[in-house]
Amino acid sequence: MFEELSDATFDGRIAEVKAGVCIFYKQLCPHCKNMEKVLEKFSRLQPEVTLLSVDIEQNPVSAGVCGAERAPTIIVIRDGKVAGRKAGLMNPREMAQFFDSCR
Amino acid sequence: MREVITTDLVIIGGGPAGMTAALYAVRAKLKTVVLESNVTGGLVNSTYTVENFPSWPSIHGMELMEKMRAQIDELGVTVEEVCEVESLELDGQWKKVVTDSAEYRCKAVILATGRVPLELDTPTQAQEVHHCAICDGAAYAGRHVLVVGGGNSAFDESLYLLASGIEHITLVEAMPRYFAAESTQEQLFSSGRVDGFVSTKVVDLIVKDGVLTGALLENSESGRRWTVDVAGVFVFLGQKPNNSLFKDILPLTKQGYIKASELMETGIPGVFSAGDINDKAFRQITTAVADGTIAALSAERYIRSAF
Repeated sequence: MFEELSDATFDGRIAEVKAGVCIFYKQLCPHCKNMEKVLEKFSRLQPEVTLLSVDIEQNPVSAGVCGAERAPTIIVIRDGKVAGRKAGLMNPREMAQFFDSCR
Repeated sequence: MREVITTDLVIIGGGPAGMTAALYAVRAKLKTVVLESNVTGGLVNSTYTVENFPSWPSIHGMELMEKMRAQIDELGVTVEEVCEVESLELDGQWKKVVTDSAEYRCKAVILATGRVPLELDTPTQAQEVHHCAICDGAAYAGRHVLVVGGGNSAFDESLYLLASGIEHITLVEAMPRYFAAESTQEQLFSSGRVDGFVSTKVVDLIVKDGVLTGALLENSESGRRWTVDVAGVFVFLGQKPNNSLFKDILPLTKQGYIKASELMETGIPGVFSAGDINDKAFRQITTAVADGTIAALSAERYIRSAF
């Protein structure tokens, strides 16, 4: 469900995405696992949204550019650009509101 | 309009107690659904190393829970994660469990909701207050943070914070002594980068222009108050019972736990409970799985006799 990005592929792929959400995660972060499930649920309601993911520890350049110090950090992508960023856990309702607020 | 789903057993909570109950229930041919508000695994997901679960000398908590989950998936248990239970109707022969996406009608319910972390209670709130060193520690590399709590979690997470590059930790415990294992205490304090204070509580947080700059501390024995300049706060104060769903419909202890019988009966026919939500002396993964086993077998016996 999530397309995994790396420092090498991040910029190019983001530029192609019309509407998407990217989760910056860490392997052993319990909240990240939780947030992935929230995004899967969110995506079932909004199937046109592309889901992307980046491992913070393996891809420090992308994480640094996007200010993803905390895990999870969620960025919203609109028309190939980063339209919003939020760190921490959200429930599906909060995630939908955050996505809608990033215009 | 919510979908109406009829099933034999609904288990609320997907930690070790709930997943073990599901394992036994589905093997007893009960049609079983697990409803979990977050992701399966419960508090064990936040345990860095589990060293007291038989057959695994040492394993990361999340990895152990993934193995438990894989086992129930293999058996065909339906698991709904990120699922908010909105209401319960436990009286009557058929029980009703309403979630954000469906209405379950079932013959029996097992409550395995566990516990949730205690929050830091201060008049001033700050966004720099966290409960997970792995998630948020790296953001404070090279800086000074406050750790609140003196149990195993506080000390283990502090060790992780130091490994993440935190420059200095001030650790406070409200009681007159620390409760973490002696060896972990020695390991942490021998780093030379940690100041510890017992009988000390956080009176308030200091926030300037929306950014945390420090905390006001108080020693309860001497009454001395002082401030520490910190960029972040990590709270490990223990847990409280996660009983909000049923606190008005089930008799609970003064502390908010379910007083279950030896057979995990709650007092309402067809309603059982298991794991950390039960009133008991010891809360371990092993005691949770034992409770889950008994609750499922009791539920099976109840369903066979009542339906």
